[in-house]
Amino acid sequence: MLPGDFEFKRLKPSKKQMILLSIAGFFGLIIFSGVVIALTFVLTAWMNGQPVIFANEGPEQPIVFPHKKHVEELGMDCTFCHRGVDKEAAAHVPTTGLCMTCHSAVGDGLDGITKMRSLYEDDRSIHWIRVHRVPDHVHFVHEAHIRYFSEKEGIEASAVCSKCHGDVANMEEVHGTEDGRVKQVEPLKMGHCVDCHKQHNAPTDCATCHY
Amino acid sequence: MAQESHKWGMVIDIDRCTGCNACVIACQSENNIPTNLEAHFNQRRAIQWIRIERYWEGEFPDVKARFIPIICQHCGNAPCEPVCPVYATYHNNEGLNVQVYNRCVGTRFCANGCPYHVRFFNFWEPEWPESLKNQLNPDVTVRSRGIMEKCTFCVQRIRRATRLADRDSVELEDGDRGLNPACVNSCATNGLIFGDWNDEDSQINQIKNKEMQEGGRAFGLLENLGTSPNVIYLKKVDESAEGHHGH
Repeated sequence: MLPGDFEFKRLKPSKKQMILLSIAGFFGLIIFSGVVIALTFVLTAWMNGQPVIFANEGPEQPIVFPHKKHVEELGMDCTFCHRGVDKEAAAHVPTTGLCMTCHSAVGDGLDGITKMRSLYEDDRSIHWIRVHRVPDHVHFVHEAHIRYFSEKEGIEASAVCSKCHGDVANMEEVHGTEDGRVKQVEPLKMGHCVDCHKQHNAPTDCATCHY
Repeated sequence: MAQESHKWGMVIDIDRCTGCNACVIACQSENNIPTNLEAHFNQRRAIQWIRIERYWEGEFPDVKARFIPIICQHCGNAPCEPVCPVYATYHNNEGLNVQVYNRCVGTRFCANGCPYHVRFFNFWEPEWPESLKNQLNPDVTVRSRGIMEKCTFCVQRIRRATRLADRDSVELEDGDRGLNPACVNSCATNGLIFGDWNDEDSQINQIKNKEMQEGGRAFGLLENLGTSPNVIYLKKVDESAEGHHGH
């Protein structure tokens, strides 16, 4: 042999090495697919506001509340129950007291109504799960938005709600499934707000919302 | 107040300041400022958007306490603004020096730039005793650890007052208690006056016109630095001072 010559050894893994290698490969594959799924979730959620996988179907509420029944069938306006929406910053979820103005008389025998009535008797409130939430450093005022669209553009209040909240009137939870729960349809990211503000010549100064 | 754009400002009459610290407490509760403990003061890390500086004059028993309330001057030419690398502090068209919490990355350059020491860094996650958690103001962000904060002229009150005036189609009133910052409302001696520099008839403009004349009491804090503050101070009427000719 001359200096600098190589002698190739045939690589023949032993049985033990083969087993170790296949186990490592198996776990490697699991980790890799986990990373891919996590990245898809994070990236799509970031870009679209709604992730492609594990999409948000809306939380399970303590009472299956039929928006469709109240709005579509009975013709009630959003502002009838969400009374703060055209007066204050917060839209307000109605108290059981407001429910009872009608439901002391109607809706006997329904599960939700029975539950609501018993809570009302005990002076307790329904612990609804919040669906729409903006970060703490964003101060969204419902009143100003409803007022702008209804006064300047002549859109009725309930139609203004749908601009951000989607067609809540037709969100009717199907019992026992996740379908039709009230869920967030718009991303409600800052870009979403700013786009609309620019379209309607609303202020885009940071201190309009962030303070 | 008929004009479209505002330029908010304040007049602080030192002669009326009794050093009672009501403004400090009002500010702390309005703006969700965590409780300052002695240790925080010793570390120079206490957060006080408005503070009363106290100076002693003379030797015992002829001592005099001098007070001067210090807030963010909302400088027209603010030294804190150009140093921010992320544009988290800027001047808006209402004359406010705005701190955008969600943009701030906590470099603290602005605090170094500010000659008035009115910018505060959150060295810790803010904490309140359990009993005080429900008194937090929902209109003000609770600032988390790692960002700067400062006096906002209670912009949440300005926003609400302008919105309500808009809603009811009325004009903003000068000196409206809904518009005034918490410190102004709480001042027992009316030593703090808030208003709009763009409004010719506002109380602060009347005072300015009167006191800016020769022999008037108005001055800007450290105005020789060229910060052109939106806050003007009125000198103390001091009968014992040299050159005092009486009023």
